[in-house]
Amino acid sequence: MFRRVSLAAALVLFACSTAAEAQKQTVGAPPEASNMKLVGTSDLQARSAYQPTIHHQGDRWIAYIGHHGGTDDVPAPVNPMTGKAESNGTSIVDVTDPARPKYLRHLPGQEGKYESGGAQMVRICDGKGLSKGDPNAVYMLRTFGSEAHEIWNVTDPASPVLIARIGGLKDTHKSWWECDTGIAYLVSGAPDWRTRRMTQIYDLSDPAHPQKIRDFGLPGQEPGSTGAVPTELHGPISTGPDGNRVYFGYGTNKGGILQIVDRDKLLNGAKEPTPDNLRYPEISRLPMSAFNGAHTTFPMLDMPIAEFAEDKDGKTRDIVMIVDEAILNECGEARQMVWFADVTTETRPTMISSYTVPEASGQFCQRGGRFGSHSSNESMAPVYYKKMAFIAFFNAGVRALDIRDPYHPKEVGYFIPSITSATDKRCIPIEGGERCKVAIQTNNVETDDRGYIYIVDRANTGLHILELTGPARAVAGLPKG
Amino acid sequence: MRRVAMIAGLAIAFGASAVGAYQLAPPAQESAHWREIAWPFPRDGWPGGRAFRCDGVCVGAELYVRAKRGFCNCDTGVADDDEVDRVADIDLISPRFAAVAAGAIVRVSAMQGRIRHYGLVMPDGTRHAAAGIALSRRCDLLVAVAQGAGDANTVQREALLFLETPEMRTWATAALDGR
Repeated sequence: MFRRVSLAAALVLFACSTAAEAQKQTVGAPPEASNMKLVGTSDLQARSAYQPTIHHQGDRWIAYIGHHGGTDDVPAPVNPMTGKAESNGTSIVDVTDPARPKYLRHLPGQEGKYESGGAQMVRICDGKGLSKGDPNAVYMLRTFGSEAHEIWNVTDPASPVLIARIGGLKDTHKSWWECDTGIAYLVSGAPDWRTRRMTQIYDLSDPAHPQKIRDFGLPGQEPGSTGAVPTELHGPISTGPDGNRVYFGYGTNKGGILQIVDRDKLLNGAKEPTPDNLRYPEISRLPMSAFNGAHTTFPMLDMPIAEFAEDKDGKTRDIVMIVDEAILNECGEARQMVWFADVTTETRPTMISSYTVPEASGQFCQRGGRFGSHSSNESMAPVYYKKMAFIAFFNAGVRALDIRDPYHPKEVGYFIPSITSATDKRCIPIEGGERCKVAIQTNNVETDDRGYIYIVDRANTGLHILELTGPARAVAGLPKG
Repeated sequence: MRRVAMIAGLAIAFGASAVGAYQLAPPAQESAHWREIAWPFPRDGWPGGRAFRCDGVCVGAELYVRAKRGFCNCDTGVADDDEVDRVADIDLISPRFAAVAAGAIVRVSAMQGRIRHYGLVMPDGTRHAAAGIALSRRCDLLVAVAQGAGDANTVQREALLFLETPEMRTWATAALDGR
C-alpha cells in the first residue's frame, strides 16, 4: 500500500516538474505562435530594447529603437561596426525589406546599467510638418538616459547629427511629439519638482531651438507643495489640435490614473505651476485600482460599436486603451494587464473591459522574468487603428487583440520569440541567494503603415518583425496571406 | 548604564552605523517596548506590513513598517528627500504633512537610505510628529514611519533600534525576498 502511494506521489511530482520544464524556453527551440509569423530579425547588438518607432523615410522604412542601459555582465556591448564598447543608446535599422533588416548605426546613450542609462525613448517627425523645420529633413527626439532630451537630424539615418539638447534633468521617459505642430510633451524630472517624472511641454517646431511652454503635473507634485505626492507620470498621448485632448497615464504597476486634459487650455493657460493652474486644463481623471498602473493610454475616439448600431444614442464611443506595466519577475505582484475605458462622457470615464493572457496557457509565472503587460503599439495608421491592438506581454510575447468591439476584446494571435544565446537571465531572491531563469521579455511593440509588427526584447534578444496570418488578417481587413 | 551597553552591543552585533540625526539625539533614559498591533490602514497597492505601538519611553508612538518590492531606482537607491516624501507611507497617516527639515542618510542593517522628519495634521486636527524612513536593497524598498505626539527624536531613536533587532531584520529580509 505504502509503495503504491509513494509511486503515485512520485508520478504526480514528475508530471508537475515535467509540465513546468516543458514551458521552459531553450536555445534552438522554435518560437510559439498563433496567427502570427516571423518575417525577419535583428539582434540589435544584444542591447536591451525599449521603444521602437518605424518611420517611412523617402522610399525607405527605418526603425529607430531606444535602448535601456547595459547589464551587470556587459555594461557596454561592443558595436561590431566600430569595434568599440558603446553604452546602449539608439539602434537605427533599415527595415525596407523586413526579411533582411540592415543595421545602419548605433548612437551611444548615457552610461549606466538597466534603467539608469541608455536612451530608451525615441520619436520621429518629418521636417515638412514642422513650421520652422527643414522641410527636407527628418528629426529624431530621443531621451539621453535620465539626464536629457536630444533632437537629432536623421535625414541620413546612417549619419545622424545632434542639433539640440534639453538637459539638467533627474529623469526622463515616454515622451510624445506632435509631428504636425512640433509640440512635444517631454516626460522629465525637473529638479525642483517633488516627483521623479512630470511633463515639460516644449515647442519643437524649430527643432534646433526648443522653446519651453510650461511644466505640468498633478497638484501636489509641483515645487513647494506639501502633503501626499501623487503617483508619477508614465507618458502622454496627444490627439493634436483637431482632437484637442491629451491623455496622460500615471503610475507603472500601482495606483494608476488616466487624466484627460484639454490641450488648448494646457498650452495656453496660465503657466505658473500652482495647484489651480495645474487643475485648470484637466477635464477628468479615472483612478484605477491600486493594483495597476497606466503605462500607455492610447486613445481611439469615435469608434463605431456594432452592438450599439441600432441604439438611438451612443452608437459610437470614445475609447482609451490603458496598458499597465509588470515590474516584478515571476508574478511577484498583482497581474498587470490591459483595460478599456469608455470616455465618451468625458467627465465620467468608465472601465468597460479588460484583457490578460491566461497564465495557465503557458505557465508563464514559472517561465522566468516578467509576465504581464507592458505597452501597446501607438501607431494610428489606418491598417490597424481601432481594429487591432498589439500588446507586449513580456514572457508571453506579443498578443494580437481584435478590439473592434472594445467592450469584448478578443485575442486572435500571438508570437513568443525563441530565446538565443544573447538572451539575458532574470533572477528572483530566494533564501540565501537568488535563482535565475532565461525567458523572452517582449518589452515594446510598434506597427508600420504596411502592417508589419515590430517587437523588441528587454532581455537582449533583439528585434523581431512579424506579420499576421490566417484569420487574424481578416480582422484587420488585410488580404489573405 | 545597561541601556548604553545594550546600544553599543547592538551596534557592534548588527553593524549599525551612522544614522544621521539619530546619532545626535541624547541616549535614552528608559527602555521602550514595541507591541505589535494590527496593520491599521486599508488595502492599497502594496501588501500590508507590520505595525507596532510603543510602551515605555516613547509611549503611544506607533511604527509602521513594510516592504515595497519593485522600486525603479535600482542603482541610485533612495536618492533624495523627495523620494522619502513619496514612498515612506506618511500619507497613510494623514495626507496633510510637511517636512520640518532636510533629511539625513540612515543605515539600518545592510541597507542605506534616508530619514526625514515631518509635521502631521491628523484627521482630528491634532498635530503629530513623524519620522519617515526609506531604505533600499537593490530594486526594493523597506519603508517605515514612526509617529506620535511625543518627542520626535526619542521616537526616531527607539524606532531605529527596534528595526535593528534580529527579529525585525529577519522579517525584513523575508519580506523583501517576497517570502
